[in-house]
Amino acid sequence: MTPDNLEIVDRLASEYVLGTLRGLARRRFERWRTSTPLVDQRCRFWEERLMRLAKDLTPVQPPAHVWPAIQRRLKLTTPRHALRRMRSFALAASVLLVVGLAGLLYWRSHQTIHATFVSTISAKSGEHVWELEVFGNLDRLVAHAARLPARPAGRDYELWALPKGGAPVSLGVLPSEGTSSRILTAIQKRALAISSQVAVSIEPLGGSPTGQPTGDIVFVAPLRTAS
Amino acid sequence: MNPAAERPTEFDEQLQSLLGRCAAADADALQRLYALVSPILFACLTRILRRRALAEEALQDVFISIWQQAGQFTAIRGRPMAWMMSIARYRAIDLLRRERYAPTLVAELPERRSIDADSESGGGSAAWLPSSELMERCLALLSEMQARCLEMAFVDGSSHEDIARLIGSPLGTVKSWIRRGLRSLRQCLES
Repeated sequence: MTPDNLEIVDRLASEYVLGTLRGLARRRFERWRTSTPLVDQRCRFWEERLMRLAKDLTPVQPPAHVWPAIQRRLKLTTPRHALRRMRSFALAASVLLVVGLAGLLYWRSHQTIHATFVSTISAKSGEHVWELEVFGNLDRLVAHAARLPARPAGRDYELWALPKGGAPVSLGVLPSEGTSSRILTAIQKRALAISSQVAVSIEPLGGSPTGQPTGDIVFVAPLRTAS
Repeated sequence: MNPAAERPTEFDEQLQSLLGRCAAADADALQRLYALVSPILFACLTRILRRRALAEEALQDVFISIWQQAGQFTAIRGRPMAWMMSIARYRAIDLLRRERYAPTLVAELPERRSIDADSESGGGSAAWLPSSELMERCLALLSEMQARCLEMAFVDGSSHEDIARLIGSPLGTVKSWIRRGLRSLRQCLES
């Protein structure tokens, strides 16, 4: 990049962070940021510096109902709630424990854990790139890296659920080797429940900073009910 | 650039630790993070969106994004407060664009530094903001109008047109103040 271009990048980054870059230009710049590390780096530079413009901002306590709403949306349970619920079910649990343990021992000796959904992401050559498995009540996603194509420098592959009629929902960055396992959030589970496909995009290291795919979609694969 | 100014503060380290725990799906960490930074992010959203109900919804969205993207926050993404504030500001700007709120609602905006009945945070003004002598020096070099326009754009989410109307100056003049203000900051920060 020439010095002239660097100056343009920096000027646009400062205007983007300030908020005066609007409309189509802003959306174009957001796409450029996610595909170009230098642009991202200049944005972070300005985000950290211009933050001082807010030095006179007086903190405002949000209303009490906001946090419970966040908990509900994320299906989070506070320890206090968990404790109360545990007490409520303690008696029943103790009775069920004996029965459950016996059942579990029997089940473990006769069963293996099966995935609920599976997906195989393959290259055009037919070679498997990742094997995905979703376990339980869409609780856990396990990704096994197989034969990855050369990864663009400074980029990660990010997995997306493609819910019908909705925007893609990130399922996290895919491993470049070995196996990764992650607990899915309520939003991810809801998205997976109404998705028949998953996609993989190329994103900045660590994943899309916008929560939506920003780089090229390089793979799309069907999500199948495990047999 | 002054390296000391870039060193993570104790508050930065506390936030980084909480974000790391959020990435590991620790709900307690998100609650603690919410207690620490929600008053700042809510103030930021209220200033830009100018509607309390919309700011409350946006605050929910912001913390859901923080929870989902905490794993992506690494040291390379810099100061955690700047990262979270950017999520909030960009969300608010996006909502402004989609909903076409704002310009006619300026009258609803609380005065700068005013505190609503239920807005006591106990945080103290800018206690959350890492100090930066260099940035303070550079800001002090701006003309009064350059500084005012930059602050209106950053803190209130005002567009060039909003600012021109609010301060009663020609649009071209406002654009020039902002362009020159940013250029002055760039030159000062990199000198």
